[in-house]
Amino acid sequence: MAPSSSPIVTDSLDPSTPTETLDNDLQPFFVLHKPSSRRKDRSSTGQGKQRKRNELSSPQNTKKQEGSVNEECDYHLFKPLQIEAFNSVWSRIESTIKDVLRDLNSSAFKDIQRWILECFNAARLHGEPNITEATRSFPILSNATPGQLSAALVITRNIEFVDDILTFEELGHFLKSHGCHVAKLSSVDFSMKNGIAGCLKALLREFPLGEIDSADISILASWYREQDNNNKPLVLIISDLERCCGSVLTEFVLMLSEWVVKLPVILIIGVATTVDALRNALPSCALQCLCSSKFMIGTPDERMDTIVEAVLVKHSTTFNIGHKVALFLRNYFINQDGTLTSFIRALKLACLLHFSMEPVSLIHGHMLAEDQKDWISALSPEILLKYMDEFPSYDRSQIASQAGKSIAQGLSDLITEKKLWSTAVLCLCEAGKYSKVRLLDLFCEVLNPDLYPHRDSVCHIRNEKDQGLSSTNGHSQQYSSVQTGGLIRQIVRKVRDLPTGALGQLIKRWEKLTADISEIHDKLKTFQSSVRCEDRRSPRKSSKDISKRYGSKASLDADNELTMLNLQAVAFIDCLVRNYMRPIECMPFHEISCFKNVEKLQVVLIGDPRRRIQADLLDSHKILRCSCCNKTGNALLPSRQDSSILYSLAQEHGDLINLHDWFQSFRTILHQTNKRKPKSKQSPQPKKRKDTAGSGDQNEASIQARFCRAVTEMQITGLLRMPSKRRPDFVQRVAFGL
Amino acid sequence: MNPEEAAQIPRRTTRSLASSSASTSNNASSAKVNSLEPLTINDLLVGGDPISLDELFSNFPGRSSQILEIVSLLGPLNTPMLPLFVYGGASTGKTSIILQLFRHLNRPLVYSSCRTSYNQRILFESILNQLHLHRKSSANGYSNAKRCERPSDFINFLREALTDAINNLKEKSAKLISGKTMAQGGIGNMIYLVFDNFQLVREWDKSSTLLPFLFNLYDLLKIPEVGLIFISNTSPDTFYSSNMGYVEPIPVYFPDYTDADIRKILSRNQADSKLYSSFLDVALRSFFRVTRQVDELSTAFKPLYEKYCEPLSDKRVFPNGDKDKDMKRKLFSHINPHITSSLNEIFKVSSHPSVEVENSKEANLKVNQRKLERREEIAKLDFHMSTSAKYLLISAFLASRNPATLDASLFDSKGGSHNRKRKRKPSEKVPERKESLEEELLMKGPGSFPLERLLAIFQCIVSVAEDSSDEDKQSGELMSDVLLQLSSLCNAKFIFKGRSCPIEGSVRYRSTVSEDLALKVARSLKFPLSSYLYKRT
Repeated sequence: MAPSSSPIVTDSLDPSTPTETLDNDLQPFFVLHKPSSRRKDRSSTGQGKQRKRNELSSPQNTKKQEGSVNEECDYHLFKPLQIEAFNSVWSRIESTIKDVLRDLNSSAFKDIQRWILECFNAARLHGEPNITEATRSFPILSNATPGQLSAALVITRNIEFVDDILTFEELGHFLKSHGCHVAKLSSVDFSMKNGIAGCLKALLREFPLGEIDSADISILASWYREQDNNNKPLVLIISDLERCCGSVLTEFVLMLSEWVVKLPVILIIGVATTVDALRNALPSCALQCLCSSKFMIGTPDERMDTIVEAVLVKHSTTFNIGHKVALFLRNYFINQDGTLTSFIRALKLACLLHFSMEPVSLIHGHMLAEDQKDWISALSPEILLKYMDEFPSYDRSQIASQAGKSIAQGLSDLITEKKLWSTAVLCLCEAGKYSKVRLLDLFCEVLNPDLYPHRDSVCHIRNEKDQGLSSTNGHSQQYSSVQTGGLIRQIVRKVRDLPTGALGQLIKRWEKLTADISEIHDKLKTFQSSVRCEDRRSPRKSSKDISKRYGSKASLDADNELTMLNLQAVAFIDCLVRNYMRPIECMPFHEISCFKNVEKLQVVLIGDPRRRIQADLLDSHKILRCSCCNKTGNALLPSRQDSSILYSLAQEHGDLINLHDWFQSFRTILHQTNKRKPKSKQSPQPKKRKDTAGSGDQNEASIQARFCRAVTEMQITGLLRMPSKRRPDFVQRVAFGL
Repeated sequence: MNPEEAAQIPRRTTRSLASSSASTSNNASSAKVNSLEPLTINDLLVGGDPISLDELFSNFPGRSSQILEIVSLLGPLNTPMLPLFVYGGASTGKTSIILQLFRHLNRPLVYSSCRTSYNQRILFESILNQLHLHRKSSANGYSNAKRCERPSDFINFLREALTDAINNLKEKSAKLISGKTMAQGGIGNMIYLVFDNFQLVREWDKSSTLLPFLFNLYDLLKIPEVGLIFISNTSPDTFYSSNMGYVEPIPVYFPDYTDADIRKILSRNQADSKLYSSFLDVALRSFFRVTRQVDELSTAFKPLYEKYCEPLSDKRVFPNGDKDKDMKRKLFSHINPHITSSLNEIFKVSSHPSVEVENSKEANLKVNQRKLERREEIAKLDFHMSTSAKYLLISAFLASRNPATLDASLFDSKGGSHNRKRKRKPSEKVPERKESLEEELLMKGPGSFPLERLLAIFQCIVSVAEDSSDEDKQSGELMSDVLLQLSSLCNAKFIFKGRSCPIEGSVRYRSTVSEDLALKVARSLKFPLSSYLYKRT
């Protein structure tokens, strides 16, 4: 697309450009390959809201010619601003994610490092061979049992490996910075094809040895004993065990174990599934050379929760997603991919789409920079106003009349409200940890705008039940009967039944979380003080006593006290939910930072190429928009593409397609061009003889050739399987419906 | 530099002074190494403190006849010898006895393990390096003394290097004689080439030219001062049939250790030999059923013995010398359950303690909770897998276990009712036949299946699951990206993919998942796997 033609402008002036739909179809590929240029051509999505805005703005444009000219200039100004805003926001999010993941892994990394030092020192205790001993070819003679290789199995607990590439890279950096020689090998180095030589070559490449002719482990031993290199432990990271070729790995382990005294390598092996993977991969003779310990790093669920917490909850002012988008991402994570990488990628795409689709979104990029003059000068207030007017949320917020002065006010309100919201969600999540509620699920529920109006009533129901609590204990049944708002309810139920000690911890954590937000903090304080008041009223019920009191006769009192405290906590949650947890989509001006367009993201992310190929083959005319097919609609015309015709014909057959029948019907359709007589369809066989010999033969041959080519094409796309020996005149359809 | 290394230097210098003439002929390149001593011919000796033959016998119980045989075959100083072929099972002491013997005899040897030298070229070059007294270092860019790939080059280089080295030795022994220091010293004129793990040569020698070449080396070189020793864990019959046109090496067989020998070896370096022998009384009998290899036994016994000693250190229940039998019995009852469990476990993974220590610091309440949770989690799947991958795994498992003919009856509700009725009648008539069929299935292991069958089963399963759980409306998206999931399952080695032409699509798959894991996965999806398994019905 030519950079000079700005689609934003054309679109806003003339909403029904013919190129619009074409743009649509190309978009996934644009986004995937050229994100930066993609941003410029505004996503003319044809989504409802955008259209509506265009329609709304058009009468204004006709009224003020001047204004539209202004606008055009401003749009030109917007594009770099949009890019800039996206860059600043995304770089912020990205660095947050990185920090968070690093922090999450740090404890596991420290454990590993400690273990490495232990191994290293233990190996040194046995005595260091000197350089001559270490570089000799025969093993060092000792009376002790043959040394074992120390190996750390780092269990990543995710069948998909992508996320852990980064983890192991960081582990490598971490160990390097803590004084280890680190070498990283991956499954590519343990391939059947290259054998042990390839793997040794890769190993030696990791060390500063210069050009090496033939990879030999004795080189490494000489290097390690030279120039104080042996003061540091030698760590070898093999990042993905499952994909390694077992026999090569066996050879490698056996070779290392032969050298273990002279070259005390410490192995770190990444295991995606279970320890059994190693048992399956290596024979017993190699396994007994390993002295292994197990280390766990965070599960993908944990990591996901921390990312959601850091990016979407804590920094909710930066960028946020609507309920449907969140639900889509969650389902994609659980059902399809299960990797953080794809989640982050989806988030990035969402962010990108948001900035390219929402003209006002760039405000908040500047809002972040707190460089107000800049964006005000770029965006004339009237235009801004106009866009704001069209926000559905703005209408709902019922302050439209005094819009002029309240924009700034509204924006700052939005920020404070979001801060309150995120704190409230964090508090709820903290409470949810006792009932093992995952933040991602909670997040989806909290964002749901449909549930929001019901929440008040939910609270009422709960209060009623609270009153009846002391007498009945069948409340759990009643709760489960109500389906909506399940997670919050679940949390509340758990908090009510929480023992005192845990509750105290929870309140302490709440205090920590709310420390910066005075509004909620005050609420918490009043709730605590009310509890204290109760304590004072009955001085024997200090919190220390409570634990002692369990066994005593006053257990009934203690229970009462317990429920009082719990009820207070429940009331606090109640207050949070009611006052501060308005879903983001219900806040005014949320469009500035909230991305809601699921369909778009879905198309971009999943693509679903197989289904797409099949669908496109069936109605290719909709894409090609040729003149001939436009008239006839769905009917098969000879002018259509061969493979498209063949695929449409194949729909009439079942699993197996008789080649002869298929060819005949293909031929019939092609013959329609020459003679548009209905007879030709009925009897193609005699027709052939009637044709003049020369051209007819040629025609037949070319038809056959075209048939063959189309079938081959379909075979290559994976839709067909060629005839087998058993059924030589049938092809088999391979993928239907998938 | 290391203090230990620094301490080594004076000793080395005295040695090299004694043979200063020898060091002059060293390879020029090794002299460049700055802080390092150039290698001398003495470095071809095993080194270490001298060891007597009696010590050898006591170090290697049950091996005295083999040691004596080898000594007699090697002969006294400066006698030529025929090639030796030492063989015997794994960990029967072949390599260590040869090395210790050379330490005792104090004769130079060139040792190369065919495991470390994993191809012909590296084997040749490592032998030449040692003969040339070459040392790889950063100064020479870790290069070899000679570049040598072909056997024909090798024989020339080897002859050259050997004559050099032997002249060197001869000079040295002449000096020794003239210096009248020849009490028993003298390292002789012989050089011995030792090839360890020789059985591996068969694997990398695809054209089978190298084996005859190496066996023929003695005849090719025609240097009487060279001795060849091959060490292998397979018998000579696996290398050559009779009469290949070269001198067959003299075989020396190392038989497996007897029970008594193993006891002696295992209790060699134990502090409390009495306690250890009582431990062996208990443990050895049951372990002999599994393995008789010394290395496997010793690695298995190390943690077991620690377990065995636990009650002794924990609570001083047993005052010294009190009721020996009583103590033994108590210890036995303590260790017995551990033995049976460790019998099946070749590979032990210890979870690192520091993590658990941190956990225990937390409140008691939490620990209790955690224990409960752990019990629950045992049955759970402990790694993440996406839902569609789980379904795919289950369908692969089903496709591998069930015969393809039963698919229709299992998954198609209409076809099922007809088929079942038809199938039941003959099976009632011949129940034995069904049993034998089941047995056959078990013996065959998981069957292979084409991609289409897998996808069909997958579709059936998913649609059934979607019907049953209408609450989750989102699971309708499970179908896309199935092939991606399949490849990631293949990568995790849960599904084995046979090799075939990818375009033709006739690749066959096979599920390698254990029933246990499949059940776990099914449980996490609440999928009634057992009702779909043919074996069960």
